[in-house]
Amino acid sequence: MGWKFTNTAFNDLFAGLTEDYIILAPKRFVNRGRFSDTDLIRYDEVKKSDDIIWKEKSTFSPKEAVFPVTQTLFYFTEEAFREPQPEEKQYLVFLRPCDINGIRRPDTINLKNGPEPDSYYANLRKRVRFVMIECTESFDNCFCVSMKSNITSDYDMAVRLTDDKVLLEIKNDDFLRYIRSDIPKIEFRPEFVLENKIKVNVPEVDEMPAGVYEHEMWNEYKSRCIACGRCNTTCVTCTCHTTNDIFYDDNSLAGERRRTWASCHVDGFTDMAGGISFRKDNGSRMRFKVLHKIYDYRKRFGEHMCVGCGRCDDNCPEYISYSGCINTLNKVIRETVS
Amino acid sequence: MNKNPLIPKPHKIIGINRETDLESTFRIEMDTAPVMGQFYMVSIPRIGEMPISISGIGQGWIDMTIRNVGKVSQAVHFLDMESTLFLRGPYGNGFCLEEFKGQHLVIAAGGSGIAPVRPIVEYYYNNQHEIDKLDLLFGFKTPDAIMFGKDIKRWKERFKTILTVDDACGIWDGECVGLITGYVKDIKLSEYDRMDVIIIGPPVMIKFTAAEFIKRGVSEERIIVSMERRMSCGLGKCGHCKIGEHYICLDGPVFRYNDAFKMID
Amino acid sequence: MTLDVNTKAVVKNAYRITKHRGKTALRIRIPGGYLKAKHFDLLKEIAEVYGDGIVHLTTRQGFEISGIDYSSIPKVNSLINPLLQDLEIDIGVIIKDTSNGYPSAGTRNIAACIGNRVCPFANYNTTALAQRIEKEIYPNDYHVKVALTGCPNDCIKSRMNDFGIVGMVEPQYDYQRCIGCEACVKNCKSNVTGALSLHKGKVKRDARRCIGCGECILKCPTAAWTRNPVKFYDILIMGRTGKKNPRIAEEFIQWADEDVVIKVIKNTYRFIDEHIDKTLPKEHIGYIVDRTGYQVFRDKALEDIKLNPEARIAKNIQWGGFRYSSDVFMSDKLQ
Ligand code: HEM
Ligand code: SF4
Ligand code: SF4
Ligand code: SF4
Ligand code: SF4
Ligand code: SF4
Ligand code: FES
Repeated sequence: MGWKFTNTAFNDLFAGLTEDYIILAPKRFVNRGRFSDTDLIRYDEVKKSDDIIWKEKSTFSPKEAVFPVTQTLFYFTEEAFREPQPEEKQYLVFLRPCDINGIRRPDTINLKNGPEPDSYYANLRKRVRFVMIECTESFDNCFCVSMKSNITSDYDMAVRLTDDKVLLEIKNDDFLRYIRSDIPKIEFRPEFVLENKIKVNVPEVDEMPAGVYEHEMWNEYKSRCIACGRCNTTCVTCTCHTTNDIFYDDNSLAGERRRTWASCHVDGFTDMAGGISFRKDNGSRMRFKVLHKIYDYRKRFGEHMCVGCGRCDDNCPEYISYSGCINTLNKVIRETVS
Repeated sequence: MNKNPLIPKPHKIIGINRETDLESTFRIEMDTAPVMGQFYMVSIPRIGEMPISISGIGQGWIDMTIRNVGKVSQAVHFLDMESTLFLRGPYGNGFCLEEFKGQHLVIAAGGSGIAPVRPIVEYYYNNQHEIDKLDLLFGFKTPDAIMFGKDIKRWKERFKTILTVDDACGIWDGECVGLITGYVKDIKLSEYDRMDVIIIGPPVMIKFTAAEFIKRGVSEERIIVSMERRMSCGLGKCGHCKIGEHYICLDGPVFRYNDAFKMID
Repeated sequence: MTLDVNTKAVVKNAYRITKHRGKTALRIRIPGGYLKAKHFDLLKEIAEVYGDGIVHLTTRQGFEISGIDYSSIPKVNSLINPLLQDLEIDIGVIIKDTSNGYPSAGTRNIAACIGNRVCPFANYNTTALAQRIEKEIYPNDYHVKVALTGCPNDCIKSRMNDFGIVGMVEPQYDYQRCIGCEACVKNCKSNVTGALSLHKGKVKRDARRCIGCGECILKCPTAAWTRNPVKFYDILIMGRTGKKNPRIAEEFIQWADEDVVIKVIKNTYRFIDEHIDKTLPKEHIGYIVDRTGYQVFRDKALEDIKLNPEARIAKNIQWGGFRYSSDVFMSDKLQ
């Protein structure tokens, strides 16, 4: 079922929704971009529908909505532990098909990998609803079609945002009560991007030939990659994190255990006490990341990790093309196999 | 609220035994028995967490041998008897002793790698009938670095035991000097599927010792290794321990070598 | 006919008295070094038809066209009208008679690095500010050199100028977003001033050490550091080259906002009015300040200015610089 809103009417719908939900969407932070006189676009709370940035891709992904950059696990005083107050807020996240498919990866890791789900993730995740932003034309660097993540049905509502009107589909009947009776009903089913400018040939091998790990194709990244970690922090599917304890400056007996995002490209990721570490050169970190995205993860969970959102390529300061690297890898594998 | 596996539980330290200048064994009250080869996430709140494998299992206690090399382990070494350590776990797969029933078992351990195999040796010391034969091959850097010296002496009475040091430092009166790899040839092998070899130690030691055994005809499936990696969550979430499609904290730390050698960092 | 040239008028008109009798050279002003490529046709025409076919690139981002007959001055002045229009009038400079060339040459071209139109380090649009300052201070006969640079790298070498305006940004920190990767800390330590340190997995910034370069913002992989959208400037004063005590400029006001920059520069012209030694041909601003002392200059430069709250003013300035002295040589004999 669908509805057609004027922009004003859609803003009114927002007003109703914000009574029950915190709405998270790509938002513009004017003049807060990396370079001066540029803007930063990232997920944050929006109060008005006009604040949703839908003509540009956000630098950071919506995984922030389900997986905070910093999360306190518990507070401690001497021998007592206290978990943060359970939050009750409901969230409505505006995101694109690739990102909806992308969030299935943090879901898998946090809820299904290992014997026990992560309770912090589970508690937040169950309070998150999705509004799909229809994508009819892809951005630079997108290759969702190659990753088969251009289509999804896993959303509660879907919107087509245009300059003068908004079309809305509701799949979850809970949201019907927010629709005013004077809003005209129409037939609306969102469309999906069926072709991207960037095409990636993902190698579909069951066993990675051993030669690939040692292949010289990784060597160029030893000097090109600066191990900054942007490809991981902007990626919707990266879930690595590190747990640390801190104590408070003015009371060293009280403190907290918390976790923050981590990146397999950044120094220290594999450091063990005693000085042993692995993947010291950035070329092997590139190999590790790329194989995780398009080989290891699929071996374990049956689908590729990468959803082709292209943010890693958008944001690498060294112009390292991850999608280009997959194409190279595919060639290398075919040469190695034949 | 879901149950939260990240909250550690307090456990009392009921024994401290200094092994070397760097390592001490802490006996910790524990009412459930873990599987040998598993590990716990041990923490002192405000300092942090670290993965520690089990170096002994008894009625109502476990041993953990901790090397004083990091922030948390250093803090643990300042603790006294009766103080509290916080633990969550046990994690990982551990060794399956069923598989060794009636087998010829060889254990090759380098340095602090001896800690996780100590409960196995101890078990067979008390249950010798469960195994055909047990050979021990232990290597340490220097005589000062030898751990569980008394245990080793005792084990020697029942099992063939080779104890070597890389560098005698002029104070070593044992028979063997040199890298552990050099003594692999002194182990008498049994038929292919009658024997298993456990190799534990630093990554380089594992690699070269395994190579020696393979050179002598032991097949990769009969070699078992335990892999140490950076761990943060122990629950398959944080990604630090991942190699290939495996999470060491879930699928390991114990692997058959035919799987392990394919896991490239 | 014998030449009869009013050299003072010619010089004021941006022409030079050259070593070749009968020939002059014209300096084209290019505020901020920002020149549309289309003007090259005109420069070429003037150089080839009225000059000796050569265009010299000046150190202050202008062009000097040499070998022009003094008699050609009126013709050349009418030809450069489109340059005056585009580079001066259109940015707001008031020139009453645009057919007679440049109305003055005392206040030098405002030089600028390429700024944030192109450079990732730049903290502001140097072109736009150069044009705004040009509008405020040109035409003027007083000898003042202003240079703008986007960040403390100072690619334009603004420290060699009477006014060096260096772009500053206040990095603002989002504690939640920081992953403690230390990219910002390591970079500030090795490339800047070491204003950042890691404290319990997060970053602390020592505001007294921070020079506002913004490199931490460039390095941060999570946008934990972002820019304060308000732009700030470091005003460096009284640097100079020259025969008498060349020296680099020193910090006068840190974290000044744009209005303060403009007002300080304008007040400086009033200071010159009051204190210039009129017996000299044209005393440079730096030497005037040397005579009056910093405090007198400071009070005039800040007159009637409401400083933004972030601004910090130098208590005192000790310019060092170079003094020619024969004492440094081993012998008095010239060899
Ligand atoms: C990141 C900042 C800087 C950049 C990007 C930069 C860039 C350049 C470039 C492109 C040139 C060649 C100019 C030409 O041929 O016309 C140049 C020349 C020069 N630069 Fe820099 N520069 C920077 C900072 C500095 C600094 C801080 C100094 C000294 C304090 C400096 C001193 C010089 C000198 C002495 C020359 C040679 C001039 C000549 O040979 O004509 N530069 N610079
Ligand atoms: S690896 Fe790159 S393209 Fe793939 S999901 Fe992550 S950021 Fe997007
Ligand atoms: S290992 Fe690297 S690529 Fe894989 S999830 Fe972690 S940070 Fe991302
Ligand atoms: S963004 Fe580019 S330079 Fe940075 S870690 Fe990733 S591949 Fe390396
Ligand atoms: S702005 Fe520059 S000086 Fe200030 S903290 Fe950042 S890197 Fe350091
Ligand atoms: S670069 Fe950013 S994420 Fe890394 S330590 Fe600095 S503020 Fe934190
Ligand atoms: S230790 Fe966190 S995933 Fe294994």
